[in-house]
Amino acid sequence: MKILLKITVLLIPIIFIFMFFFLLTEKKPYPGADYKEFPIPNFNLESLYESEPLTNVDLRGDYIINIWASWCITCRIEHPYLMNLKNKRIPIIGINYKDERYDAIEWLGRYGDPYDKIIYDFKGLLALDLGVTGAPETFLVHDGVIVAHYQGEINNSIWSDVFDPIIKEKEMFK
Amino acid sequence: MIVEISHFLSLLATGLFFLAGYFSLFVSSTSYTSNLISRTYSQAFLLLASSFLIYVWLAVTDNFSVEYIANHSNSALPIFYKVSSIWSAHEGSMFLWIVFLSIWGFIFNIAVNNNDILKPKTIGIVSFILVGFLLFLLLTSNPFATILPIAPINGADINPVLQDPALAIHPPTLYLGYVGFVIPFASSLAFLINGDSNIKWEKSIKKWSVMAWVFLTIGISLGSWWAYYELGWGGYWFWDPVENVALMPWLAATAFMHSLSVSIKSSHLRIWTILLSILVFSLSLFGAFIVRSGIIDSVHSFANDPQRGLYLLAFIGIIIVTSVLLFISRFSMIKPSSNIKTLSKESFISINNILFGTLIFAIMLGVTYPLFYEYLFDQKISVGAPFYNAIFIPIVILASLFLFLSVDSKWSRGITIDLFKKPIAFSAIFSIIFVITISFLFNTTDIFILLSIFAGSLIISRYFIEIFRYLFNKKYLNPYSAIAHLALGLLLVSISFNSLLSTERALNIKLNEYEEYEDMKVYFKDIKLIEGSNYDAVKASFNIEDEKGNNFNLNPEKRRYFTRGQITTETAIHITPIKDIYLTIGDQLDDGSWIVNIQINFLIRWIWFSAALMSFAGIMLIFSKKKSNI
Repeated sequence: MKILLKITVLLIPIIFIFMFFFLLTEKKPYPGADYKEFPIPNFNLESLYESEPLTNVDLRGDYIINIWASWCITCRIEHPYLMNLKNKRIPIIGINYKDERYDAIEWLGRYGDPYDKIIYDFKGLLALDLGVTGAPETFLVHDGVIVAHYQGEINNSIWSDVFDPIIKEKEMFK
Repeated sequence: MIVEISHFLSLLATGLFFLAGYFSLFVSSTSYTSNLISRTYSQAFLLLASSFLIYVWLAVTDNFSVEYIANHSNSALPIFYKVSSIWSAHEGSMFLWIVFLSIWGFIFNIAVNNNDILKPKTIGIVSFILVGFLLFLLLTSNPFATILPIAPINGADINPVLQDPALAIHPPTLYLGYVGFVIPFASSLAFLINGDSNIKWEKSIKKWSVMAWVFLTIGISLGSWWAYYELGWGGYWFWDPVENVALMPWLAATAFMHSLSVSIKSSHLRIWTILLSILVFSLSLFGAFIVRSGIIDSVHSFANDPQRGLYLLAFIGIIIVTSVLLFISRFSMIKPSSNIKTLSKESFISINNILFGTLIFAIMLGVTYPLFYEYLFDQKISVGAPFYNAIFIPIVILASLFLFLSVDSKWSRGITIDLFKKPIAFSAIFSIIFVITISFLFNTTDIFILLSIFAGSLIISRYFIEIFRYLFNKKYLNPYSAIAHLALGLLLVSISFNSLLSTERALNIKLNEYEEYEDMKVYFKDIKLIEGSNYDAVKASFNIEDEKGNNFNLNPEKRRYFTRGQITTETAIHITPIKDIYLTIGDQLDDGSWIVNIQINFLIRWIWFSAALMSFAGIMLIFSKKKSNI
């Protein structure tokens, strides 16, 4: 009887602790994540601010591409996290997607500009080649090759679960 | 610069707490070491307290180079909310949690004489717990992180639902309650480590436990009250997972205090008492884990970060498993030498322990089962009010009946409970008549409600008789027990009437028209846009005429806060002693009418009053000079 009591008292917390351990370490599959590798498609578009031409040659090294638009509500929610990435010195290339140039510039003026370069893609040409379905979407690029793609808002947990493993594996952003 | 000083002081404090813990548990104990431990702890505490005060000062002076303050405060806020913004999110509230933990240890440290044989070990255990949490804070949730080189000009603002006085004090009160049980916990572990079963450690921790329990009670009630009028939930309890993880330590603490009073008297129920002291603190930590690991989505959850969850789980796991192993290894030492007499006060309290243990286990299942089930079978299930009601109502009624019978019982000896004795018979007959009257008056046959009213009425009438006998026959009365249990009776009756009589309805009303509801005329007078300091709002104005012809205005609002774009509902409540008339405004429909939700909540104030009365009994006990029982 006593031994039974002792075992029960010990087992109950241990079972709970293990269950919570499994819950916490469970890798949740992200429906928006995709790891198909392909090179950045060729493009020739204008930059948002200066209307200067931008092509593949202008993009170098490791960076992320973020699809956004001033009409996109989720982009507004995602925005502080992008500013956060900028503070961590992660280069972000913005693709302004199917947007009015004036609205986009005003939007950045109001909330802040996290992007290193912004490609103005009014017709969604580059976005189409990238396989974009809407905004926001984010691509991880390593030496001109897309290595991860996420559809939807990125945040801390998406970053650490979807992008971080690849960043560590490929030793990016050194 | 200043934030680095604050950061550095916290680091120093961590080191000193470690030393205090190390001296007490790994260095042989002499009067020299106990003085050393006591002093080291006090110094560590002063460093940590200074660190926190500097942090408060940074928040008050709008130092937005501190990332946490920049994200959660704003220069436009009144000072009061600048301070409370510190505990409006994870990092700062964890900081406060730790500071409170250290305060309890500090008060214990100065209140208890260094000659006390268990004191060094108690302080040592508190110190090690502090080290664990401080490392958690500094490594995974650093509130001192800065935004450099350029700090933002203004902060992002506090979450608007937290801009409320009740909420500014709800978390600190609750934290004081949660972490207060570190003292009973550490004392009982110190007792187990020491290994001398003759030490009467229980007596010295009674007031500590009651004090922590009072904070927990007030903290939970404030949360319930806040959800009612600020969140617009329109009720007092929702079996929300985070309400549940606060209720579990409360139940365990209540059982613990009862069990403790037995152990103080006769060293009986020591197994229960020690196990419960471990359980209370473990459940408090479990609450912190649930809220901060992001495992459960709730109004209370902080940002999801698996790293934090794993650290907390590991640390809490170590605390719980170590203390349980210690308990098992010293089991023979705390075994009672004799059995409890049947129908003695001790026997009733041990029944109470079993019933409360069952309640806690039921809530634990309700909180964790959906999580585990989803993990194992990939299907979502929800456990809600019906499950908890089905388990709680019968057990609480049963516990109340035992409480009713226990009023006549005596310490250490069995009595024959004579059901035809005057007080018992009188209360029983009174309660039966009362319940039958209620049943006819409100035309109800809901057995659970009637039984709950019956149980509440039994307790109230029985204790009134005791008070009467105390006043006129000078019969002994434990005032704390009487008040706390009267409050329980009142709580049962209020909750029963609330669920029996309260009603709600969504009305569609056009401007300048009225709707009738429950003999009241709800007249829609006006609606306009208003601008507050940091929000704009739709403010509606209603005139309500009740069945007696009384007129009053209610002005519910819907606010949109600028900085976060968050929309909140401001309720409008007409309060009377018996009922609340509670209005919230919803959306406008295409035909121009507005959805207005109206609730009539009976005796809801009495529910919180009962909780306040219970806390009052605890406060009385803390300030009493006499050495009495719980």
